[in-house]
Amino acid sequence: MSFSVLVCDDSNMARKQVLRSLPEHLSANAQLATNGQEAVELLRSQAFDILFLDLTMPVLDGLGVLQTLKDENITPAIFVISADIQPEMQSKVLELGAKAFLRKPVELEVLNTNLRNHGFL
Amino acid sequence: MPADDFCTDIANKLNTGILIIDSQYNIVLWNRYLEVHANKKPENVIGQNIFEIFPELPEKWFKRKIESVFQLKTQSFCSWEQRHHLFELPHTRPMTTDSHFMAQNCSFLPLEIKDNNEHVCILIEDVTDVCHYQSKLKKTLEELAQANRIDGLTQVFNRKHWEECLEKEFSRARRYKHGLALIMFDLDHFKLLNDTYGHLGGDIVLIETAKVISKLLRLGDLFGRYGGEEFAIILPNTDMVGALDVAERIRVAISKNIINFQETEIKVTASVGVAVITEADTRYEDLISHTDLALYDAKASGRNIVCVAKDVTAA
Amino acid sequence: MSDLNLNEDQQDCLQEIINVAMGQASDQLARYLNTFVYLKVPSIEQVSTISLLNMLNSNENSAAVVSQGFFGYEGIRGEALLMYKPKDSDRLADLLGYEPDELSVEEQIIDLSSILTTTFLNVFAKQIDNQMSYSAPRLLAGSQSAISDHLAQQSFNWDLALKVKITYQVTDYSFNCDMVLFIPESAIINIKTVIDRILEEF
Repeated sequence: MSFSVLVCDDSNMARKQVLRSLPEHLSANAQLATNGQEAVELLRSQAFDILFLDLTMPVLDGLGVLQTLKDENITPAIFVISADIQPEMQSKVLELGAKAFLRKPVELEVLNTNLRNHGFL
Repeated sequence: MPADDFCTDIANKLNTGILIIDSQYNIVLWNRYLEVHANKKPENVIGQNIFEIFPELPEKWFKRKIESVFQLKTQSFCSWEQRHHLFELPHTRPMTTDSHFMAQNCSFLPLEIKDNNEHVCILIEDVTDVCHYQSKLKKTLEELAQANRIDGLTQVFNRKHWEECLEKEFSRARRYKHGLALIMFDLDHFKLLNDTYGHLGGDIVLIETAKVISKLLRLGDLFGRYGGEEFAIILPNTDMVGALDVAERIRVAISKNIINFQETEIKVTASVGVAVITEADTRYEDLISHTDLALYDAKASGRNIVCVAKDVTAA
Repeated sequence: MSDLNLNEDQQDCLQEIINVAMGQASDQLARYLNTFVYLKVPSIEQVSTISLLNMLNSNENSAAVVSQGFFGYEGIRGEALLMYKPKDSDRLADLLGYEPDELSVEEQIIDLSSILTTTFLNVFAKQIDNQMSYSAPRLLAGSQSAISDHLAQQSFNWDLALKVKITYQVTDYSFNCDMVLFIPESAIINIKTVIDRILEEF
């Protein structure tokens, strides 16, 4: 089974970090966005199964993306991967519909466990 | 292990107080420096609560400080500049400084030794010397700044500082639409006075005149020596009526003032110019030149008189 | 001079390390202060001595500037400057959980600065397998003196520095503080070596 994946992070290194932690069938055709606005535009134009989303980003930040997707009823499975690990931020993110909150730098095992929990592995 | 022995030996020879407490604020280590300076033997201190050994510690503050070290696992500091000392310890210069207790810089270090409870190490350094010289330096700098503002002979503001004051008062008056008045006065026939009594006599006249006028002024008035025998006064929040009143009192006070110099009495008069700020004045120098012109009028009208700047009387 | 510039990958890598450090530091801070800290994308740029002076002078109306030096292994070192706005200083005691009369505003500012600097740099150092030591924080400018008075009197022993600016916003207290890290010329090379090592793993 194959899933379409979008990775949204302003950092090239962070995007690479996610890609290289993903199993082949998810990373092969993954698309990339370098800020929240880019991600929202891609999500409007095509359907994605999974969105990996950073929070602290220029132009439109992760919370802005979550709110926009919620408002526009666009519903990929969203995994937030962020350095901003304050408990208040984690609960905010989950309230806005994210499946899980993963702390940066993302760890292979944690990522895979979460993907398995949501039926992507 | 010899390395450990070295460390212990150094800890006891360092000129720094080393104190380790556990999370219950009980003392677990106490080096020789503290034994000597606090005059307490380790056996009477180890295991004791730090607040019992040092009752002078501000408990609430101290606990919050230590808490931050435990919780954030990061070192913290306390400088003599904010808190002269934490621990009441004697210092090594009791004779040559006026400090009662040792001025201290304290560092609080988190100790993380495996399989061990959390501990905080407190380092206490004697900075009484630094504190002493820094205080002296600060006092000297203040004196220097003061000297920079004062005219050495008359002890009123010098021209430079007086003009800086005027610049500030002028822009404040314009911004808040407050009144602002300027008085300038010049001692009459001062050159003759210098020729008659010598420069020493002239100096005494300047000093005594400044003294008499200083007593007449309000707290906010700014009195300076403009140059030679010319003085100037800034009167903030003052209109022409108020300024004229002060000017007249100055004129009278000077004319009545009898100055004793080498068994003779010197009498002197002054010509006075007054101006107040007007809408047309855009720079403080405008106000000075109006006042100066009024002063010139006073000289031309026979001296020992107060004259008002012309454009103001016309208005 | 060109060997002091970070290339795009190096800049990106440093930014990400700083992001993670900032995130964890804010988390610790939020727990310690019992509040929420809002994070912005940090800025990283190369600055000259002159532009530093200009920047500090334009901050003339800062209530306070606190300096704290840091140094770690492999020649990683620099100076952190914490800058506060005047209107914020009266909220500090509240934020730190002190009684208002318990200590001076200056002491509060120094305390908070030290917490901000050391929590951030500890996490930063951990990510690059390093460990930092710190000098005691010092108040450079407060209500008594302007920062420019302080700096005008000294000549700098460097021409270029790497400037990292991080803005902390504590929402409950609508309190702001800029943390600016200056890494002097000689230490930039060392930072680059460390970054290249991390990039090699990718």
